[in-house]
Amino acid sequence: MDFEPKILGIACNWCTYTGADLAGTTRLQYPQNLRVVRVMCSSRINPSFIFRAFQLGADGVLVGGCHPGDCHYNTGNLYARRRLAVTRKILEFAGIEPGRFRVEWISASEGNKFAEVVTEFTEQVRNLGPQTKFKIEQLPTPEKI
Amino acid sequence: MSINFKQIEEKLKSEATKLLEEGKVGVVLAYGKGYDENHPLPFVARKASDVENIVFNEYCTANMARYIVRYPRGTKIAIAVKAADSRAVIQLIQEDKVKREDLVILGIPAYGMKNAKTGEVVDSKTTCGMYNPVIYDTLLGEEVHGQSVVSPYDVLAEYEAMDKEARWAFWKKELDKCIRCYACRKACPMCYCDPCFIDQNKPKWGEKSPESHGNLMYHLTRFHHLAGRCIDCGECSRACPVDIPLYLFHKKVAKDCEEMFGQAAGMSIEDKPALVNFRVEDSDKILE
Repeated sequence: MDFEPKILGIACNWCTYTGADLAGTTRLQYPQNLRVVRVMCSSRINPSFIFRAFQLGADGVLVGGCHPGDCHYNTGNLYARRRLAVTRKILEFAGIEPGRFRVEWISASEGNKFAEVVTEFTEQVRNLGPQTKFKIEQLPTPEKI
Repeated sequence: MSINFKQIEEKLKSEATKLLEEGKVGVVLAYGKGYDENHPLPFVARKASDVENIVFNEYCTANMARYIVRYPRGTKIAIAVKAADSRAVIQLIQEDKVKREDLVILGIPAYGMKNAKTGEVVDSKTTCGMYNPVIYDTLLGEEVHGQSVVSPYDVLAEYEAMDKEARWAFWKKELDKCIRCYACRKACPMCYCDPCFIDQNKPKWGEKSPESHGNLMYHLTRFHHLAGRCIDCGECSRACPVDIPLYLFHKKVAKDCEEMFGQAAGMSIEDKPALVNFRVEDSDKILE
């Protein structure tokens, strides 16, 4: 049985995305399970993105932002920290394994941290197995007559 | 000692007449006669002769703060509030939906209110369990003392102890009942967005027909939108025609916000809502 998790990565343009770039240019190896979406700031992330990702079949969601205090917009990630903490609690109380959602602060110079986090998180989600609770069951498309 | 509802009603009427006759307010938000004694309706008195229709009894559980946002800014409003409703008023002032000087708050200290649908007493199990309004200009009746104070979060212990799978099964069962009548949204004093995220088509956040995944999206996002703002009046679950215990989730989120950010919703005009505020010294532990 080889289950390959689908992981959505939402990365802040100024730190985590640049960090991912650095990981690439320094030829660091990390699993291919991550699909990265770039946003301008971690506070751009609407919590509904995360619920929707789980509904559309993501097995895990990784959010990356600047370290608190280093935000390009000064305070964005400080708002995001509070907001995503609530998202986490909501997912947990609804019955999703909290291990499927993770927020990490990765700066532009931490290419190796990015690779480490992705490797570790992919392994963690792989151990949790496929996410079926939120996933929308696809109805078979009716045959064309 | 019990609450004298008749006396409160008389005081409410005389106060409303006085305010309307003196022209201090344009509207008085209170409770009016319904089709029978057990079903009083939200009522708006616009002139002194309307006042005779005002009633107040143990079934007046509706949160009148819901109706403040319907009036244009600057309308002078008098509003009858119970304990949780007064917190809703404070929360609306914090969010700059209404100005404190435009409001005349008639506080009603009350306990032993009853749910018209089930006949059960409304207590800390489904609401914040407070008796006296937090903010008021005129207090109608005596402040309540000597009633036992129960933590509104006690009821959560059973659900927090549940296994994750059991909790998911519980919420799946409950949320699948939802018929998407949006009564929870209509009853909630904090749900004033126009349009609501679920009514938007671009982007379409969730399915609008009563299906499992659309229900989940609607309710989870609504819980999130009310995080740090829900004042625990329990009106959503009383309004629900299929009896989904929405108050449980709202209580859980309110409890977490209080633990993480050290502030309960609607307790002071000077506060800012928890999620539009931050502290640099917030710990990263809240994300673990």
